[in-house]
Amino acid sequence: MNWYAMKRQLNGWAILSFIALLFIVLPGVVVLVELFAPVNDNWQHIREYLLPRYVRNTLFIMLATGVLTTIIGTSLAWFVTVYDFPFRRFFKWALILPLAIPPYIGAYTYHGILNYTGVIQTTLRNDFGITVNQSYFNIMTIQGTIFIFTLFLYPYIYTITRAFLHNQSSSMIENARILGRGSWDIFFTVVIPISRVAIIGGVSLVLMEVLNDYGVVKYFGIQTFSTAIFSTWFGMKDTSSALKLAGTLMILVIAILTMERLVRGRKQFSYATTKVKPLKPRPLNGWHRYAVLGYVATVFGIAFLIPFVQLIAWTVLTFEQVFTAAFFRLVWNTVSVAFIATVIILVFALIIANYTRLFPSNMTRVISKVTTLGYSIPGAAIAIAVITLFLLLDEWVLKAALALDLGQTFVFRTTLIMLIFAYVIRFLAIGYNSIESGFEKVGKSFTEASRMLGWGTVQTFFRVDIPMIKGAIMSAFILVFIDIMKELPLTLFLQPFNFSTLATQAFKYVSDEKIHEAALASIVIVLMSGLLIFVFHKVLDKEAD
Amino acid sequence: MNKKYMALGLSAALTTSLLAACASTEETTTTGDNETAEESKVVNVYSSRHYDVDKELYKQFEEETGVKVNVVEGKGEELLERLNTEGANTEADLFITADAGNLHQAKENGHLQAVDSDVLESNIPEKYRDTDNEWFGLTKRARVIVYAKDRVNPEDLSTYEALTEEQWNGKVLVRPSENMYNISLLASFIEVNGVDKAKEWAEGMVNNFARDPQGNDRDQAKAVVAGEGDVAIMNTYYMGLMLNSEDAEEKKVAEELGVFFPNQDTTGTHVNVSGIAMTKASKNSENAKKLMEFMSDPSAQEQFASANFEYPVNESVEPNELLKSWGEFKEQDINLSVLGENQQEAIRIFNEAGWK
Amino acid sequence: MFVQINDLHFSYKGAHAETIKGFSLSITKGEIVSLLGDSGSGKSTILRLIAGLEMPNQGVVVVNDCVCCDDCQFMPPEQRGVGMVFQDYALFPHMTVEKNIRFGLHKLSRKERNERVEEMLALVNLSEFRHRYPYELSGGQQQRGALARALAPRPSLLILDEPFSNLDTSLQHRIRDDLRRLLKQTGTTTIFVTHDEEDAEALADRIVYLGEGKIKKQIMTENNKTFNPQIPCFV
Repeated sequence: MNWYAMKRQLNGWAILSFIALLFIVLPGVVVLVELFAPVNDNWQHIREYLLPRYVRNTLFIMLATGVLTTIIGTSLAWFVTVYDFPFRRFFKWALILPLAIPPYIGAYTYHGILNYTGVIQTTLRNDFGITVNQSYFNIMTIQGTIFIFTLFLYPYIYTITRAFLHNQSSSMIENARILGRGSWDIFFTVVIPISRVAIIGGVSLVLMEVLNDYGVVKYFGIQTFSTAIFSTWFGMKDTSSALKLAGTLMILVIAILTMERLVRGRKQFSYATTKVKPLKPRPLNGWHRYAVLGYVATVFGIAFLIPFVQLIAWTVLTFEQVFTAAFFRLVWNTVSVAFIATVIILVFALIIANYTRLFPSNMTRVISKVTTLGYSIPGAAIAIAVITLFLLLDEWVLKAALALDLGQTFVFRTTLIMLIFAYVIRFLAIGYNSIESGFEKVGKSFTEASRMLGWGTVQTFFRVDIPMIKGAIMSAFILVFIDIMKELPLTLFLQPFNFSTLATQAFKYVSDEKIHEAALASIVIVLMSGLLIFVFHKVLDKEAD
Repeated sequence: MNKKYMALGLSAALTTSLLAACASTEETTTTGDNETAEESKVVNVYSSRHYDVDKELYKQFEEETGVKVNVVEGKGEELLERLNTEGANTEADLFITADAGNLHQAKENGHLQAVDSDVLESNIPEKYRDTDNEWFGLTKRARVIVYAKDRVNPEDLSTYEALTEEQWNGKVLVRPSENMYNISLLASFIEVNGVDKAKEWAEGMVNNFARDPQGNDRDQAKAVVAGEGDVAIMNTYYMGLMLNSEDAEEKKVAEELGVFFPNQDTTGTHVNVSGIAMTKASKNSENAKKLMEFMSDPSAQEQFASANFEYPVNESVEPNELLKSWGEFKEQDINLSVLGENQQEAIRIFNEAGWK
Repeated sequence: MFVQINDLHFSYKGAHAETIKGFSLSITKGEIVSLLGDSGSGKSTILRLIAGLEMPNQGVVVVNDCVCCDDCQFMPPEQRGVGMVFQDYALFPHMTVEKNIRFGLHKLSRKERNERVEEMLALVNLSEFRHRYPYELSGGQQQRGALARALAPRPSLLILDEPFSNLDTSLQHRIRDDLRRLLKQTGTTTIFVTHDEEDAEALADRIVYLGEGKIKKQIMTENNKTFNPQIPCFV
């Protein structure tokens, strides 16, 4: 490479990408430095009494959730794609809806339904005189945790696998049909192997959610890695050991992501060049029809309808008490912060993705990898790093103000800027992934065509690249927005003065043991997410055509 | 080409300014470095109490004094950790938390300052204050034993320690050990009975558990009524809240339970406070002091007591009728600071005993 | 010479061997040159190097007296005044045919722009399809649209990458005659890549045979006799 090649690498895109990258790397560095710091007494204690149990619980939950979500997610995707049955079009998108219910809301809702004073036991007791064995209805167990995660996370696998089956497999499946293979046969010998990559992509998302979950395990009192980090940090007041745990978790996540990349290898999810021919669903006859419908409807009922109806019932019960002027403020807070953070994330994601795409080199490959890894940094580490950083920032600002004799200074810590900054670190990877795959799909030739017609990279970016990946941008927006709206630990820990979101408000009510009061905030999250998911589905559908 | 870079920069700038605008509407305080400058009309509070009655009181305070109360709500441990991280740079003037252990930790870490106020001293009895007046209790709650009225004869109940006896094997319910109320409970036992006895107690409890600890205090009450166990340890005000719940079923549960104040003939029932403290770094210390005094005032204490079924610390205020119906009781005779001193020890004992 | 390429070397990232090993070529104004070679012979890479979409390890490219790249400078594609028709046409799917053609005309005044768009639409016979989106056009229409878009800014050099690969045979024959007429009519200097000898003979004035990143031989086609440019046969 000669000198102008170097110069070509160092342009505006590169500089902006580096700045964005710095944000992500900082908390990672904080964690890694602490990982290699000498251990203290607490660490010994943690290793002896707690770590074995944490690791056992976490691995068991991950394994079971992974297997169950895969079974449910792929089977649903398969049924909805290849068979025609009543209400298929409705279920096609309705099966994504459980994603609108954050697992912690699902957890407390199900606990509320199933516990002694819940609707089921109450009805049995008061109307039928049956008092049940409590252990059958106890959801606050590891099994219950797996149940909750499975219900509310399977859509990750369902969506990815369905999109894949819909777009990629028609010829293969049709061939297999012509060759006289039965449906089950095709499912196991053709569908599972060819959609392996998509399934693994979905599973890795599920596992990441499980690892980083705080709300469910905290509420159920299940000891996992993520509760361990927080209880070491807050309970034992041992930041150093907490960061060590966070580092261990981070390595685990990086391992999962690397595995996913390895399996995926060069097979990207793109279908840019081939003309996609959607599979034509085959009508089902007789009892098969109702069996499939029954299965699909059951999943939908348990994963969405039941908790949804319960939340509405509780909302009605507490509406007057909770629905105040302050509640509008809550909704406004949630939406505006999520919106701002999402826009910033998309701007960064677009810049980085475009840079790594236009100037492929070893360096941009590293940038791309690191961006994706941002997702693996545990929330606790992000929180610690962000606070440390903002304290430094405020110190500099104060010094600068003194030097310039400004008198008044702006304090950045404990403001929304700090919280939004943390969101950006946490969720950039999600936005980036969507946008990157959007770019992958359209390829580079449109950009090149634009440049051949006399437009530079920046003009091309606005006039061609962005309109071309509009769908991907929209999907990224929706995914990130929903995630931020649901986010819990960072929002709890970094919230500014007089600031609550729907998620933190719901969680506070729940921690104060006021489950019914939490319903209104929860239902608004669910409704908004549900609406966005519907839009998301429409976007995906349009893209596929 | 540069023009378009500007466009890019512009859009970035736009979002940033949007951000800043949003941040400023939050009425974050901007503070001068000049100490003699007049205090702004605000007071910043980190509070782990997020009850509606607290908000109501802040509002009254604002109306009375014109001082705006800014609040960050969170768990006590989280807010304490935030104070630790922010140190002398914290924006918080006051720290309110529902556990004396956390208050003491904040003091130990040097985040608090002594407040010299006759009002506070006359309103709050000495035993609910820090020895150096660095924190003050606002309300107190007892951690008691509740029992199934239909199955348990209260005469069989005596002490916390007795729950580890053979008689209660497989019948005791209590929430997980990461909960601050449990940590403080054990910390108080370390003080009154010594480390070894405390550890014995934790192990004996684990041995007698009806099920793995799970859920919150209300869940323990429900489990007793459901027959999973016979007795549970829980805070008094949850009984009050359940008895007045809008959910008829919860009410029924509470009505089937009896409240028992343990250790009346020995060391006394464990009592904890939620309290208030001024940070060392407070920039609005006058306003902060005013709010502290306001909260200890009989009228505020009255509201605390009635809305949340807590015992007021101000002795001139009567507890709620319900609380009075449970009768007077003997409290643990310890300075609540020990809850903080023994906190880490308690956590370790829980872990070693295998109390989930 | 109108286009002058000297000793071009290029290797893809991570590859050890050079894809292009010392390629040189001159083209006179108005000439149509075909690069013919098997897949992997580096013919498309040469086009991308001339267009500026790839950066050579060394070598010089001069188009119309303008040094596009040599040892100390590299002109980005948008400044080279080279037009290109991509193998898959790359018509912007979010724009109509008319907007596609208009896209490259931003340096003209509004009036000139409108005139030029009309002119190009008429030239490629797409006037009545102007408001259609690319996916509403047939393969042949798409190709003509792409050609019109590339020619609209009056490039000093037009590059065509496998212009017939996406068309069926009957269409292919008709279009290549049309194309030649059109290029000659506009006097556009053209270089195009194909793997089909018949295409090359029908369209080009000169065929350059490529193998292993170098020129193997060059011949004048029958067309050349009618065109008769004043060029040396071998560089």
